[in-house]
Amino acid sequence: MRLLVVEDEKKAGEYLKKGLEESGFTVDIATNGIDGLHNALEEDYALIVLDIMLPGMDGWEVLKRLRAKRDTPVLFLTAMDELEERVRGLELGADDYLVKPFAFVELLARIRTLLRRGPPRDVEHMHIGDLEIDAIRRRVRRGGQRVDLTPREFSLLQLLARRRGEVLSRTQIASFVWDMNFDSDTNVVEVAIRRLRAKIDDGFEVKLIHTVRGMGYVLDLEYEDQ
Amino acid sequence: MRLSLTARLTITFVVITVACFSVVGVLLFKAVTRRIYIHDQTNIMLDARHLRRLAEELRSPDDVIAHKDRLIALVLGDNANGLRVIDREGRLLIDHVPLGYELPTQPAIPADQRIVPESIQSWKDHDGNEIRGVATTATLKDGESVTIAVARSLADRMALLDKYRSDVSLSLLAGLLVAVLLSYLLVRRALRPLRAMAESASAITAQRLSKRMPLQDAPTELLALATSLNEMLARLEQGFARVWQFTVDLAHDLRTPLGNLRGANEVALNRHRSIAEYETLLGSNIEECDRVSRTIENVLFLARAESPQFAMQRVVLDAAQELQRIADYFEGLSAEAGVTIQVNASANVYADRDLFRRAVSNLLSNALRYTPSGEAIRLRAANTEKGVDVSVENPGKGIEPEHLDKLFDRFYRVDRSRSDSANSTGLGLSIVKSIMELHGGAVSAQSAANLTRFTLHFPPMPPAALP
Repeated sequence: MRLLVVEDEKKAGEYLKKGLEESGFTVDIATNGIDGLHNALEEDYALIVLDIMLPGMDGWEVLKRLRAKRDTPVLFLTAMDELEERVRGLELGADDYLVKPFAFVELLARIRTLLRRGPPRDVEHMHIGDLEIDAIRRRVRRGGQRVDLTPREFSLLQLLARRRGEVLSRTQIASFVWDMNFDSDTNVVEVAIRRLRAKIDDGFEVKLIHTVRGMGYVLDLEYEDQ
Repeated sequence: MRLSLTARLTITFVVITVACFSVVGVLLFKAVTRRIYIHDQTNIMLDARHLRRLAEELRSPDDVIAHKDRLIALVLGDNANGLRVIDREGRLLIDHVPLGYELPTQPAIPADQRIVPESIQSWKDHDGNEIRGVATTATLKDGESVTIAVARSLADRMALLDKYRSDVSLSLLAGLLVAVLLSYLLVRRALRPLRAMAESASAITAQRLSKRMPLQDAPTELLALATSLNEMLARLEQGFARVWQFTVDLAHDLRTPLGNLRGANEVALNRHRSIAEYETLLGSNIEECDRVSRTIENVLFLARAESPQFAMQRVVLDAAQELQRIADYFEGLSAEAGVTIQVNASANVYADRDLFRRAVSNLLSNALRYTPSGEAIRLRAANTEKGVDVSVENPGKGIEPEHLDKLFDRFYRVDRSRSDSANSTGLGLSIVKSIMELHGGAVSAQSAANLTRFTLHFPPMPPAALP
């Protein structure tokens, strides 16, 4: 899938391109608003990542002119963490936003959500290797053995399983599992993962829950463990 | 138009002075006029009565002529007076009118009728001056009758009053000038302390906030103003000092992770490393970045919480449910620390959900840090007379009293060396305080030898929010 990143800061553009390409996207970069708008109108992109502070033409203007002609999904990036700023972006037709500085996995997750179109798959039974999750009875088996989880541990496992192969940041996990929507000073998520891992992975050859250091956690059969 | 206080007061004083002067002047003028009028009336009346009595002593019109000088003597001495006597045939017996004005002999008061002030007539001479006079008939001894007319010209009175009027006007003008000058000088003098205050206020800048308004010379009225200004300055000075301290602490707090980043990267670049080592380094770099981000996010939260536009969504929260949820969130962390969390709540709290959770979480993570293994942290919520109290109580080494009131200051750490600054930004309790201020409540801390309790005081729910 082809993405357009409109970002004037060279370093930011470089790492976004690299990171997104390694996640399987084809990425074009525009370093100013005018080129960005031109590309966005001429080419067919699956999604556009748009910085707001741009030389030439700012992100708001790009968004407005783009929306007049096309409805390519737009995720905008802002350094201004003010409510009005976010509301303005969404009113102009943006689909989502991220406040700088953001975690790359967070950006990836948002992009995937926007591209997925439609609600995330809600599967009653999930099988990942020898891990079975019964979402209705809220039961978990690993290698045929019943695993006892607390309700929150179950929610955590379910989240990771649904987003299999996707790195989830601590903030995302805290928000999804406990509905705690703020950056905490504590390592609650770290500990919760450690305890979940003890119940799910301990004693098994194949580890399912992996730590991506500094970024978050991922559940999959194979992941380059660190 | 913007008038200075001096101008306003001066104008007021001058207006008052002029008004007083005018009223007094007009009243005095009227009184004098009235006095003169009464005086002249009386004189004319008495002269007429006297002349009639004298004439009645005389035998005949000829006798009147013979005693002309005696009769005239009565009105002599004032040029303004005039006397004319005629007999029944209209013969002029006496004619003494030095100013030569008209002196009619009709209508005449009959000889047997008393002469009263009301009988006096008024007319004008050809110059327009007022003349007042009266004519009366007198019966002589021989039975003949004569008509006596006496009058007085008021020309000199008018002149006198005119002079008096212009004198009064002149004094009024002089008084006005004196009033302007005196009031201006007095008002300026009276407002001198105000100017002094303005001068000392202009010397106060952000760098010199320690300066204060002088109080010793201030009059009573300004003392209250100066005192409250000084109190305001004291608060501002304190605020500035806090901001300054905050900036220094913030810089220090950002310097530590930056130092770690730079140092670790330099050491790593010193020689070739294994992929695993590089990966560890990058992971650690991201952790340091997270730490900087978290500090910035917290600082921004504190700054935004002080803005009046801060958006809050207050709802009625079941405290028991909320506290249990927060306890669940800390389930793993507390289990690892060997600490249990007990929830005992029976109250509704009117608060923003996310902010409530954030405040309690901050207190709980703080409590977890200081609770010994095997002990229990208690989360409570209960109605009080003044609203709802939500408390987080933990056993463990207490907090020294000297730290208690500073705990909520930004970046304040009881023990800088011991605190795990990698996890704690030192802003957690300030954020709790900010959140409580946003809710119109407060946070307090109590600590005894083996127990520490933080209490969030929420104000009572507004009637509109009651379920």
